[in-house]
Amino acid sequence: MPSYASTTLPADQPGAPQLAVADTLLTLLRDTTTEPRADVQLEALTLAVAADLPVLLWGEPGIGKTAALTQLATALDLPLTTVIASVHEPSDFSGLPVVGDDPAVQGVPMAPPDWAVRLVRAGRGLLFLDELSTAPPAVQAALLRLVLERRIGALRLPPGVRIVAAANPRSSAADGWELSPPLANRFVHLQWEHDHDVVVRGLGGTWPRATLPALDPERLPGAVAFARRAVCEFLVARPGLVHRLPNGESRRGGAWPSPRSWEATLRLIAFATAAGSARDVLSLLVRGTVGDGPGLELLASLDRMDLPDPETLLADPAGAELPERGDLRQAVLDGVVAAVRRRPERARWDAAWALLVRAMETGAPDVVVVPATTLASLRREDWDVPAAIERLAGAVSLSRRADAAARLAAGTAGARP
Amino acid sequence: MTADAPGALDLGKLFAARLHAARARPYLATALFALRPVESRAVPTMGVDRYWRCYVSPAFVDRTPPAELAAVWVHEVSHLLRDHHGRSERYAREHRLTGPAERLRMNIAADCEINDDVYGDGLAHPEDCVTPHRLGLREGELMEDYLRQFRLGPDLERLAWLDCGSGADGLDRGWELGPDGAHGLSEQERDAIRFRVAQGIKGAPGSAPQGWRRWAEEVLHPPQPWRQLLGSALRSAISGPGAGEDYHYGRPARRSAGLPRVVLPSLRRRPPRVCVVVDTSGSVSDAELGSALLEVAAISRAVGGRRDLVSVLSCDAAAQTVQPVCRTEGIELVGGGGTDLRTGFARALRTRPDVVVVLTDGQTPWPAERPACRTVVGLFPRTGGSYDENDPAYRPDAPPAWARVVTIGSATG
Repeated sequence: MPSYASTTLPADQPGAPQLAVADTLLTLLRDTTTEPRADVQLEALTLAVAADLPVLLWGEPGIGKTAALTQLATALDLPLTTVIASVHEPSDFSGLPVVGDDPAVQGVPMAPPDWAVRLVRAGRGLLFLDELSTAPPAVQAALLRLVLERRIGALRLPPGVRIVAAANPRSSAADGWELSPPLANRFVHLQWEHDHDVVVRGLGGTWPRATLPALDPERLPGAVAFARRAVCEFLVARPGLVHRLPNGESRRGGAWPSPRSWEATLRLIAFATAAGSARDVLSLLVRGTVGDGPGLELLASLDRMDLPDPETLLADPAGAELPERGDLRQAVLDGVVAAVRRRPERARWDAAWALLVRAMETGAPDVVVVPATTLASLRREDWDVPAAIERLAGAVSLSRRADAAARLAAGTAGARP
Repeated sequence: MTADAPGALDLGKLFAARLHAARARPYLATALFALRPVESRAVPTMGVDRYWRCYVSPAFVDRTPPAELAAVWVHEVSHLLRDHHGRSERYAREHRLTGPAERLRMNIAADCEINDDVYGDGLAHPEDCVTPHRLGLREGELMEDYLRQFRLGPDLERLAWLDCGSGADGLDRGWELGPDGAHGLSEQERDAIRFRVAQGIKGAPGSAPQGWRRWAEEVLHPPQPWRQLLGSALRSAISGPGAGEDYHYGRPARRSAGLPRVVLPSLRRRPPRVCVVVDTSGSVSDAELGSALLEVAAISRAVGGRRDLVSVLSCDAAAQTVQPVCRTEGIELVGGGGTDLRTGFARALRTRPDVVVVLTDGQTPWPAERPACRTVVGLFPRTGGSYDENDPAYRPDAPPAWARVVTIGSATG
């Protein structure tokens, strides 16, 4: 080994040649490729930034928040300005008071820092406020004015500037960064985590290249209508969730539901719909805006919105498309039976039977049993049993077998001491 | 529906068993119907993957009575609802466990968590299923607790056939379809199902057993990681205005020399003074106090209070002496009678602290007025029963609104 090294790197020539070799090594290390890979976190971040909502990334130090922001800036074609909050002073954000010739006449102007002047002159850009959590409280207070009112000293940031902030989670924060509920309510909170496979593969030389969502101009009006319907229908059913201040220590400083955050949710649903994003992306965004509980409930109600309308199914049972998943399929069939119960007519009753037969023939039969029993109980005296019911014999025998199993289980359970 | 070819999967029997399971456990019906059965000859009995596919061995279905098959359905869906794969992954990473033997241990521990209360009441008890009782362990604990308590030995070797799939222990199997296979559920869909089941249990709590109700409670309101919460409450109390490190204009900044016309604030550090008031009345156990007190002392030292600035005061009906915690030996806590924290507050305020931390079970009168410093209350929860034998209607006041309250429990996170 030493003899090999001495042939390429003369040990008696220190200085420039040595550094040149080091540069070659560094270039080799930087020589990595990328591969396409779906990245839910990055997609959520892109959508929130596109929707012009302030985003707060929560993540441990060193897990690639800055790298993600660089990628985002490239994707949105915005120049990136990174400001490390902890190395600045509060006056860097609120403006430096500069004493002029005659303060009594001219006043004391609050001079903005150079990066802010450049940002305003450019008119557009991505401002990344890093290390929010390690800054002293006065700096954080000044920064929040920048995020919320978009003012730096006497300057106002133009609408083309988008702001993203990053903070360390409370468990690893060294000092008291904590959002008060009113401030927390203005942010979209995204938890930033590293993916083990991505890191290992990246260190091996191949980093992921996320395909970022693009808004489809054709879908915009539909997306707005869908988002309005989704949020309004949900809040009509759950009025208690319109506004709920977080109680308890664990939910302080996080997302919580209020008219403001519901409006942000509506905007995010519209953007996700227009971009054709997956539900996983929307799930991150919605839960980061109104909190886990209300967010999950809204998503569950979105799932139900996607289900076919019972009336449409009853109108055309032969052409009905039933969902694949057993639990959703049962929800649809229950909905159909409930629709027949609301307006019991002979034709609708027959159509419902036809739908049950169709469900029986295209999927698991146990799902059909409960709706069939309920539908049978809706029969009026003068209604004849439809011929289609013969084809449900499989479900009936299945039900009998389940009954037998229940009796057997009851017997064995009774026999046990 | 009945299979004609020998060895084919008897779907009729399988679905009849699922129907029975859904009738016996109506609150799990959503989750049961969301499972997608996949015929597989590689799985010994029945197994699940994390994408909610259920792999079924045709031979197992043939030889198992329907009532037992229903119990297995419920067992497998429990693995998924309780997120055993995610918890196994986390446990394996934290404790650096590798290898199939450790995964088998996780599968056994997960089975113990499920099996202690899932059977009976309409569901047959499958033969040789793993229960905590069989391993000589206590019932009603979590998978993580069981994992700490047993090792694989010769008596457990006969369980080596046990395989509930990656849904139970997080280790991907060769015979599974993986994330790109047909009919897998996305993460959001899985969350939605878990959430719906939990909501159903919360909505009609009468029908579900204690274990499921506790699970639903945790899905909807995860337990508080009290150590972190106590720490952050204390940190934010300490670093608020008036204490800690912050900017002010009282003294010229070091940058001022370079910028003659600009007025700059300077950074100044004032270490906070923390006084811990410990409720040593008879109703608080020593173990509770010990753990919480250690946390407070560690946190307050870590956030920059010099050790001599942290003091501890024990208080029952009367306040005892104030002791600094800079001694290396333990802090002596005196007391044991009834509680009146008002004297403790008064005594603590005489040391002019920036923050008062109170550790109590809350069965005490509170000061009527907000003290002149920040207050963090670490509360040991007490439920049920009357607090006073002579006056059963007596209920102590909740901690006042001006204090930040952290509930201290056994749950760690």
